[in-house]
Amino acid sequence: MTEIQHGTRGEVDPAAPRQSPSHGGPRQRSAATRRRASARIGPKLGRFGLFALPGLVAYVVFVLIPIGMTGYYSFTNRNPFNPPTKWVGLRNYGDLVGDQEFRQALVNTVIIAVIVTVFANVGGLLIAMLLDRPTKLYVALRGVFFTPVVLSAVVISVIWQAVLTDDGLLNSLLRGLGVDHPPGWLSDPDLALYSIAWIITWQMLGFCVVVYLAGLQGVPRELQEAASIDGAGRLARFRNVTWPMLAPALTINTVMLLITGFKAYDQIQVITNGGPGTGTTSTMAFQVVQTAFNGNHIGYSSAMAAVMLVLVATVSVIVLRLLQRREVTQ
Amino acid sequence: MRRSIVFCLVTTLAVAGCGVGEKPAATPASGGKVELSFLVFETPNLNAAFWDAAIARASAKVPGVTIKKLVTPNVDRTGYAKQLDASGHLPDILQSVNPAGFAEAGKLAAFTDAELTNFIAPKAGAVDGKIYQLPYNTQVIPVVYYNKDAFAKAGITETPKTYKDLLDVSAKLKAKNITPFVVGGGGADTWADMYPLTGTVATDVYAKTPDFLTQRKDGKVKFADADFTKAAQKVADLAKQGYIDPAGLSRSYADTEQAFRDGKGAMYPMGSWFATSADNNKPGFEIGAFPWPSDDGTPVTPTFTGGGTSVSASAPNVDLAKKWALAFDEDKENNDAFVKLDGSIPAIKGYTPPTDMGPVYQATVAIYQQGMKDNSIVNAFSQETGDGSLPPGLADKSALGVQDLITGKKSAGDFASYLDDQWAKATQ
Repeated sequence: MTEIQHGTRGEVDPAAPRQSPSHGGPRQRSAATRRRASARIGPKLGRFGLFALPGLVAYVVFVLIPIGMTGYYSFTNRNPFNPPTKWVGLRNYGDLVGDQEFRQALVNTVIIAVIVTVFANVGGLLIAMLLDRPTKLYVALRGVFFTPVVLSAVVISVIWQAVLTDDGLLNSLLRGLGVDHPPGWLSDPDLALYSIAWIITWQMLGFCVVVYLAGLQGVPRELQEAASIDGAGRLARFRNVTWPMLAPALTINTVMLLITGFKAYDQIQVITNGGPGTGTTSTMAFQVVQTAFNGNHIGYSSAMAAVMLVLVATVSVIVLRLLQRREVTQ
Repeated sequence: MRRSIVFCLVTTLAVAGCGVGEKPAATPASGGKVELSFLVFETPNLNAAFWDAAIARASAKVPGVTIKKLVTPNVDRTGYAKQLDASGHLPDILQSVNPAGFAEAGKLAAFTDAELTNFIAPKAGAVDGKIYQLPYNTQVIPVVYYNKDAFAKAGITETPKTYKDLLDVSAKLKAKNITPFVVGGGGADTWADMYPLTGTVATDVYAKTPDFLTQRKDGKVKFADADFTKAAQKVADLAKQGYIDPAGLSRSYADTEQAFRDGKGAMYPMGSWFATSADNNKPGFEIGAFPWPSDDGTPVTPTFTGGGTSVSASAPNVDLAKKWALAFDEDKENNDAFVKLDGSIPAIKGYTPPTDMGPVYQATVAIYQQGMKDNSIVNAFSQETGDGSLPPGLADKSALGVQDLITGKKSAGDFASYLDDQWAKATQ
């Protein structure tokens, strides 16, 4: 409680020794206050800084420096098998504009991101509303729905591959039901991308459920009761009370799902390897890895990664701002 | 306090900095031995126990070496080796990694002529005349393995001698509701769809132009030329006529092999490594083998010779690493194990396979020996290493393109043009 609150109103610590007016005007007082504040915060900042240091260093070494290196490589023709590396300016970015494979990967990524964001949000909300009951059964079911979230994407992919291949669980079931030619969930170029999007949606569903459940439990019962007394039906109560109160949960889910969709890689690598065929399920992240490690074009793939970073960051910030504005207005 | 923060920052960055992209120096293991990393890959045939035993046998012959086994996450060992190399951790010894790119960039150590005296084809897979991967074995790619019961059920009494025969056999099988070809290529194993095309390229392209890829490199031929397009058209037609089921493209390599064992198709065009798998784990029917037929029945035998170990030029002790690699590839017991578990046909002078090999392996070796006798050996498309091989990454692109051929998404002409485009992209 003795911390000085730094704010626009210039509040001071009430416990701090007061200065005599004869020792100076408001400006001098303010400067003295800041000095005292620094003197008090300094040691604490040092201690906390010490704790934060390993994390900070890890962030710098494993995130910021690689991003910087990627940015630098994107302006070069770096190919470890074809030295020397030369500065090529914006050529890689120019080539990306006409790269049909990259365009296809971009379209696929957007399709996956949109499907995952919409369906995981809708499904997560519906399931959360079903599970928003205090009995033990529903509490246990929450755990069941959350399980896929804690599993690795590779494990999920292997499981779904076993389900969706031609000889997999789903088609065996369909054949058992008399369907002679069940769909090629992973081998039909028109279906494979949607199968991948479904798998990611399925994995993220539990995350959405938990976030929406937390949101639902924060909706005051009095508001619901007041709305009921005013004659609001179930749908009206959801539209006018519950849904507006879930705005923060919607923000979190939407941003997380968009990011998950945009960086889809593991499922594609394990299940389809970008196929069936050329580019059918290739995403931007997959294209970056293939270009870098199969084609050895590190410089060009760095340009792809840079575009991906800017795109994901831009979309995320825009969506975040829009949804946060909605939170405020509601 | 500030000093302690600065100290921690500097120390942590120094420690972290030391670890980034640095290859550990020669690690003297216990007893003054040099530790060498060895990259291997596991398959249903070549499992962990096989590699451990093979490593132990080679290590017993080369004192002073301790081997640290590294296993690739999937069978794409070349792709994984590139990832390791990009992070500055190229293993010291690599098993069956395509040396293309690594060799030209000076990342691999060349074997001398004196070191290659025991090999039957000491110049196979050479890059600028130098050998960077020991040519320790030969594989016939593809051999058409077939289900004798399914053939009998369809009234087929003879194996096809010409391509027309192959189409007739396929038609008879289909008429009996038997899928003629089992072709896979799902998950990370896209390469498993390549074998029909490897067969048609051998008979329609390489039989006439054995150095096709070298000529492609020199710009003298293109994939879009008539011969290659015809080879691709044959694969497209097999799928169009329902002789290849596109649904199989979702099957991984292991699942594809299992599908053939489960009788989900009558013919399985695959590399000769399937032979011992068929002998060791017999399905409920007899398996036969025949070479991929050409139009007029002239024998053409696509093979690959190489596939052995390579040594990193930056290994802690290159000479010792090469000595160990040679001991590994020349060891009789190791080769026996490769033969028994992976259908290898060792290309080591004086080597004779174990006498108790099964009938499918014997039939496979007979195809190879007949090819040697007929002088009909050609390269196996997409499997080549060395100067006359595809640029890095193009074999994977080809496999994805073959999926388009099979699903009908690309015509033969589109596929050939796609390969030309990808070649240009890969070599720019």
